[in-house]
Amino acid sequence: MDLNISPEDIAFRDEVRKFLDSAVTDDMRRGVELTTAFINDPEISIDFHKALHKKGWSVPAWPKEYGGTGWSAVQRYIFDTECARYGAPMFNGAGRAMLAPVLMKFGRPDQQEFYLPRIAAGEDHWAQGYSEPGAGSDLASLKTKAESDGDDYIVNGQKIWTTHAHKSNRIFALVRTSSEGKRQEGITFLLIDLDSPGITIRPIVGNGGDHEFNEVFFDNVRVPKSNRVGEENKGWDCAKYLLEFERGGSLQAGRVRAQFTRLVKLIKAHSPDDPDIAVRMAELGTDLDAMEMIDISILSAVQSGGNPGPISSLVKLRWSQVRQQIAELAMDTIGEEALKWVGERPLYETLQLPPDEEELLTQTPRYLNYRAYTIFGGSTEIQTTILSKSMLGL
Amino acid sequence: MDLQYDTEHTILRDGAEKYLAGRYDYRTYQKIAESDAGWNSDVWTEFAELGWLGLPFADEDGGIGGGPVEVAVLMETLGKSLVLEPYVPTVILGGGIVSALGSPSQRQLILPAVAEGKLRLAFAIEDRGTPVQAKKASGGYVLSGAKKMVLGAPMADTILVSAKMGGGVGVFVVPAETRGLVVRPYRMVDGGRAADIEMVDVSLPSSALLGNNESAGATIELTIHRAIGALSADAVGAISSLVAATVEYTKTRVQFGQPLAKFQVLQHRMVDMKVKEEEARASCLFATLSLDGPTDRRARAVSGAKAKIGRAGRSVSQSAIQLHGAIGTTNELSIGGYTKRLIAYELLFGSTREHLRRYASIISDPAVASAGLLSAPAN
Ligand SMILES: Cc1cc2nc3c(=O)[nH]c(=O)nc-3n(C[C@H](O)[C@H](O)[C@H](O)COP(=O)(O)OP(=O)(O)OC[C@H]3O[C@@H](n4cnc5c(N)ncnc54)[C@H](O)[C@@H]3O)c2cc1C
Repeated sequence: MDLNISPEDIAFRDEVRKFLDSAVTDDMRRGVELTTAFINDPEISIDFHKALHKKGWSVPAWPKEYGGTGWSAVQRYIFDTECARYGAPMFNGAGRAMLAPVLMKFGRPDQQEFYLPRIAAGEDHWAQGYSEPGAGSDLASLKTKAESDGDDYIVNGQKIWTTHAHKSNRIFALVRTSSEGKRQEGITFLLIDLDSPGITIRPIVGNGGDHEFNEVFFDNVRVPKSNRVGEENKGWDCAKYLLEFERGGSLQAGRVRAQFTRLVKLIKAHSPDDPDIAVRMAELGTDLDAMEMIDISILSAVQSGGNPGPISSLVKLRWSQVRQQIAELAMDTIGEEALKWVGERPLYETLQLPPDEEELLTQTPRYLNYRAYTIFGGSTEIQTTILSKSMLGL
Repeated sequence: MDLQYDTEHTILRDGAEKYLAGRYDYRTYQKIAESDAGWNSDVWTEFAELGWLGLPFADEDGGIGGGPVEVAVLMETLGKSLVLEPYVPTVILGGGIVSALGSPSQRQLILPAVAEGKLRLAFAIEDRGTPVQAKKASGGYVLSGAKKMVLGAPMADTILVSAKMGGGVGVFVVPAETRGLVVRPYRMVDGGRAADIEMVDVSLPSSALLGNNESAGATIELTIHRAIGALSADAVGAISSLVAATVEYTKTRVQFGQPLAKFQVLQHRMVDMKVKEEEARASCLFATLSLDGPTDRRARAVSGAKAKIGRAGRSVSQSAIQLHGAIGTTNELSIGGYTKRLIAYELLFGSTREHLRRYASIISDPAVASAGLLSAPAN
């Protein structure tokens, strides 16, 4: 047993570094650093996406026949870690990481051929239309209705908390096509163009000051039946399959380590002699090390052809908490500086200060925004209930 | 990169668990804890027969050449059974420092006897008041000073003693019956035994200095790290036993007409315990796999594990007691034993806070903080 990477992997790492040296620009890096929301605006990330696509690296996790890289688990770890270290932009995962696996499993060949390359190339931006005002954790209670009309569905209802709907051209949505039988058995999975007549998008600004999510209203929106994924009333299978990717999915260690490293630098600059801050930093560092070991043990299990088992379900739960706590300590570290507030967004356009002063203005918004980590993608409470079954058999 | 346990590890673990399940239940632990000696010589002989007492020693020293992973696998099972026999003092600390520093003849004299179960060791490291000093005298050395919290010293035949000499530090082999050596034994919270020792003009031959080495500081630190690694695996065993015992108990205890395990608030608390167990295990593995690596990384992983597992142990044992109700506050069930074991773990070889401070001083270098745990092997 060991934590060593092989000479081939070191060569791979050097190749990744060489690529990132030119693909990640200073402007991008500044954009990433001054983003206090979860994902970067396409304005920041698109050039990086294009460069990745040109290199054949835009969708590493996909199977090779759909454009994936065929990297080993260790290579994916290296790639993610290096991207994070370089401060490369974060993409909205709705298309690449959530919809794509659903299309690969449940989509028709023509749907796969049309949509997947557009996702890989960064041409399509997708939003996730699951939650509704009355359907949060209890997703199956959703009410947005799709009624059959010839070759089309007519969609009426409302989605909410829809991340980047205002930056997307398409949305995948769960809609109700039947109210008979079990609630889960009347749900259908639809792909909808966001410029369809009858769709209204209204912004919701979070208390961290960012406009990241929205309300999306559907008023007699006509959607061709050919845009359905899977069978009518079988959308719950797609929905559940997608959640596996939303909740488990990618490796987090690299991203969180990059966030932690920024905290370490912030502490050095602002509270180098505060013993309480040092202890909290150390506690978080040990949490991070342990979680990274869990990430790696999952990689190792996958690499040797096994199944990581229930431990993979605790990863989302704990990473979300660690990220929140790092953001919280960063805010605490800068003392009264955390009082200063700039409301205009995006900060990378609004601010024109020395970099270290700009960074201070991101801490409180990030703290506030990051409270959401333990709410979306299956709240801590929902995850914990799932874990009580999968890990403890209760 | 490979974090999969292989067949040999599984055999070692399963064999140890099977033997201990039949030989060392909670009542046995309690009896030994309450006995005057604090250990059982028959059990010790069986450990020797199982090959455990020479596990980390080299073949030529009468051992079987196991590494940190094998030690950790065994230690976790010892923790699950609350084994009180002085395994860490004898094999990891005493045996460890002799392996690392001893001349071939010193190793031959000591290690095969340890592996055969005929010699128990302790390693006196931490000074108490007056540090132990070694002065050259005709034909050898004279040692004076005091040490505290010497694990396993009351049952040790030979005590290894670190002593300041000139600008450096050496380690001396001191038979327990040596004149001028006073051992003041006491019981620890978990039933384990330790002693404070005092040395007044203790004369030793020059062959008593391990490896004739007067700058053993770094090797002593490595040996302490190996002991913390072993005790961490022991603590992970205790934590996982607490989680399992609590889940079992709440499945059978009925209140309000249903098993306690049906209440969401208790389910969530038990998931919290289980998550802490998994993180403790991961942290322990990081330390274990860093023991043979570069010094900085070892120090970071060991201090990190000590702090992380210490915190996990405290939280899990508190939850275990709470979820057992009144019975959890007694010695009736094993959770009382595990709780005390974990208190001992936290307090030995530096408190949680001390290790957090050490960890903080290493991690506050951004180059260290930003590097992932997978790394190119050091040449
Ligand atoms: C930043 C952000 C981005 C989002 N982006 C999207 C998106 O792009 N697309 C989309 O469809 N949705 C999105 N969401 C919505 C997200 O999926 C929901 O917030 C989530 O499912 C929780 O639903 P809710 O907010 O209605 O809370 P509720 O379900 O009302 O829960 C409120 C509280 O009660 C707890 N609770 C609920 N049920 C139980 C139970 N059975 N046992 C114990 N506790 C329980 C919850 O854990 C929570 O603490 C986003 C949310 C956020 C915050």
